Amino acid sequence: MSNNDIQRTVTVRIQRFNPDVDKKPHMQDYQVKMWPGMTILDALHEIKTHQDGSVTYRRSCRHGICGSCAMHINGRNTLACKTPIINEVQKNDTVTIGPLPYLPVIKDMVVDRTSFWEQYLRVKPWLLPPNDIPEKEFRMSQEEVDALHDAEACIMCGACYSSCAVIGLNKKYLGPHALLKAFLRVLDPRDTAPAERLEIVSQADGVARCHTIFNCIDACPKGLNPTQAIETLRKLAQKRQKYEEARRERQKHLNEPIPS
Amino acid sequence: MLTFKIQRWSAIALLFFLTVHMIFMHYVPPFHITFDVVQARLSTPTWKIIDILFLFSVLVHAMAGSYQVITDFESAFNYRKALAWASIIIVILAFIYGAKTIWAFQL
Amino acid sequence: MYTSTGFISWLLRRISGVALVLYLFTHLWVIGAANSGTQVFNARLDAVQTPIFKLFEIALLAAVVYHALDGIRLLLIHYFDLTEYRKTLFWAVFIASAILTLAGGIAILAIMLNGG
Ligand code: FES
Repeated sequence: MSNNDIQRTVTVRIQRFNPDVDKKPHMQDYQVKMWPGMTILDALHEIKTHQDGSVTYRRSCRHGICGSCAMHINGRNTLACKTPIINEVQKNDTVTIGPLPYLPVIKDMVVDRTSFWEQYLRVKPWLLPPNDIPEKEFRMSQEEVDALHDAEACIMCGACYSSCAVIGLNKKYLGPHALLKAFLRVLDPRDTAPAERLEIVSQADGVARCHTIFNCIDACPKGLNPTQAIETLRKLAQKRQKYEEARRERQKHLNEPIPS
Repeated sequence: MLTFKIQRWSAIALLFFLTVHMIFMHYVPPFHITFDVVQARLSTPTWKIIDILFLFSVLVHAMAGSYQVITDFESAFNYRKALAWASIIIVILAFIYGAKTIWAFQL
Repeated sequence: MYTSTGFISWLLRRISGVALVLYLFTHLWVIGAANSGTQVFNARLDAVQTPIFKLFEIALLAAVVYHALDGIRLLLIHYFDLTEYRKTLFWAVFIASAILTLAGGIAILAIMLNGG
């Protein structure tokens, strides 16, 4: 960043909505002086502490791990705390920030995530371990780890969920976040109930309702791939009993070292 | 998931049937379609089978697709059982009508 | 609204799909005239083979070609795990359908002008 950039002032255009006084959301502009390494979240803090205390948003960790600060920034869903503002400044020196789309707005950038969590719980996102837990540790081979495609790195920020056009139409759809989690559990060699999980995701509101729009991949701030997970679940759902048998077979060897 | 599978397999069938249909009906002479033209083509059993299968897959694909488009709306999603039956009935009726048409070229 | 290439492809797929369903049933009705005899069939088919309908046919071709190629794209992505190439595939489908529609459309026009 050059010296000029450090001095630069940008317009941060925020979508405001206060349910007590507003009927419709409206845009409000704020001028923020950038400093090196400033993130969108820093800019919001700047506005909230020095200009307008009524600007409302969620945040917690400030380093991209809690998933509170997902927002709609310049037409894309991403985490405000890990997006440098300099990358987002448009030609007219403006950054546009709004709440996550397709979800009911509570106030400003705060959205109602009830459906998000309800759908999440439907896939039983927890691990169902086998009865005879090995003495030391579960052993996974490198291939088994690779097959998960880092799906465990999901921080449940809702960026993918609220970018999905199907969610915009139908809140009964499980959603990319829940399907990614189902994928993680189905492929986890420690899990005992892959057939049951595959049964859940192959219902009318599960994997078949994904229309391969790919917004979830583009939105994910962690670079995960929910669409690939859904495609994999689609394939596995066709042979769930066989898959479960293979899993039981696999779990007989959880104790043993991995043959390399 | 069943709708999805039906959609996928009928799509694959259509890739074949529709290509054949488009080429033979629109890009191979004679270009002006009359009763006799169709009758000449349908006099071979192969064409009759192709057209019957084509009719079936295109109807299934169309109605499975419509069903998916409609049930994507949350308000319609709750009535999906009724909508599924309606689609099946439409497929059957249209298939009977279309098959009758194919048969009509015998005379 | 969350726009992207994927969203556009989905929207086009839906619009062309619904249009094709409507066309399909019209088409069934048109050739269904065969049930009422040769004269009725020839009369109705003559009515839909006028130049103005030939122009509609080009729009129809565009819908069919896009819908088919988009379907092939989805099949490829499903069976060969190509989600990483989604943007390339989208543009490939877009350009291929434009070329095919253009080629087919020119053929239709040529046949029409030759009085086919
Ligand atoms: S504040 Fe925790 S992810 Fe951004």
